[in-house]
Amino acid sequence: MNEDNDKLSAEQLQQIKDATRAAPPPHVVARWHDAIDSAAEREAIAARPKPQSFSPSSFFWGAAITAAVAFGVAIGVFIGNDKPVMTETYANVEAAPQAQPASAFSRGLQVHFQQSRQDLTRLDNTVNGERAELVMNIVQQNRLFARMAKQNDSEDLARVLRAFEPVLLRLSSEDITPEEAERLRSQLAFELDIVLTKLSQRASDRTDAIET
Amino acid sequence: MNRILKTLITITLLFAASVSVAQTDDEQLKVAAMEALITAPPERALPIVQKVLAGNGSDELKERALFILSQIDSDEAQAALLNAANSTTGELRLEAVRMIGIGGNAETMQALSGLYDSGDEDMKDAVLEAYLIADDDEAVFQIANNAEDPDEFENAVEMLGAMRATDKLAQLRETKGTSEGLITAFMIAGDEDTLLEMYRSSDDVDEKREIMEMLVAMDAEGIWEIIDQALGDQ
Repeated sequence: MNEDNDKLSAEQLQQIKDATRAAPPPHVVARWHDAIDSAAEREAIAARPKPQSFSPSSFFWGAAITAAVAFGVAIGVFIGNDKPVMTETYANVEAAPQAQPASAFSRGLQVHFQQSRQDLTRLDNTVNGERAELVMNIVQQNRLFARMAKQNDSEDLARVLRAFEPVLLRLSSEDITPEEAERLRSQLAFELDIVLTKLSQRASDRTDAIET
Repeated sequence: MNRILKTLITITLLFAASVSVAQTDDEQLKVAAMEALITAPPERALPIVQKVLAGNGSDELKERALFILSQIDSDEAQAALLNAANSTTGELRLEAVRMIGIGGNAETMQALSGLYDSGDEDMKDAVLEAYLIADDDEAVFQIANNAEDPDEFENAVEMLGAMRATDKLAQLRETKGTSEGLITAFMIAGDEDTLLEMYRSSDDVDEKREIMEMLVAMDAEGIWEIIDQALGDQ
């Protein structure tokens, strides 16, 4: 290694400092916090309450839970950094009792879709950065379920979930016109409804198969 | 303004409003009918969806029809999606490409490379997005590997980063060398180890600076040691 090249000029270091002060794009921020929020969401899936009407305090509790989990995850990451955080998440999912994963996943996914559907209807009432924050919350959950769908060999569901993300990211953009936002929101709501109906059908088919 | 004129304006406005409401109701009814199609047997749903796509309905309604097609597991549905991707225009065409990704049918996916090659920037982005949706990192790798335009290469490698296809990125680094796009892609993929290794093995100060920026932004564990070294003789 060339030692001289490891030493940067004061000007270059200042440029780095300046660059890091600039806010990174939302998708990059989302990517960095993916693992942390995934862990938080895993907790939420296990004990998610029925969808409630919007309350500003939900952001506080979301932030509090995320911060707590982030602290825990951070300890795990910085002490034993040889494995990605998501691998641990998968390990926990796989370690669940054999009878649970498919149905628990399916139920969790249904709740996620219902919650996302409800969140989408709230977008019209958001101001400034709230919309981006609300959408990014859906994105985080969506990523977790896309990975879980893949783990559960539900590749068709994984594709649908992955397909939601680019649309959600467009929705989170501040420079989108209200008309375009409404078009994206309504298409997404339609797709969520369709997938929810399909999931309900599958659950019903499974129940019928068990009963007969 | 005289009374007759006022009355005329009022009647015109009421008429316009009633037409608008009727159109909205009609559109909502059609969307609800489209939604119900998902519960119908595919052989019943498919001809109806195809009729909607060929008809004079709104683009919004056709976009929903395309999604229904993506959820029908049949060759006819796939052919209809491909036909829409080839024959429609604007947003609807891009949406058809997205639906091909959602459908994930291997044969239909193969046709995307032709659409990418002949398409404009929007179409190229839509095809890359479809590959992301279908989790087809090999197809994105081929685009990056064969790209002659730097922007196309950058878009493809960043998509590989979003797909966390670090093995493909490593292959590209071997064959094409380190570039700004690849550094960003490794950052998007969250691959701190490779970025640290790239930093240590680079002899280019600008490149090292760029990698350091990425590592700082990622709050990578090894970054403090590197900063410490970089400040060594300040």
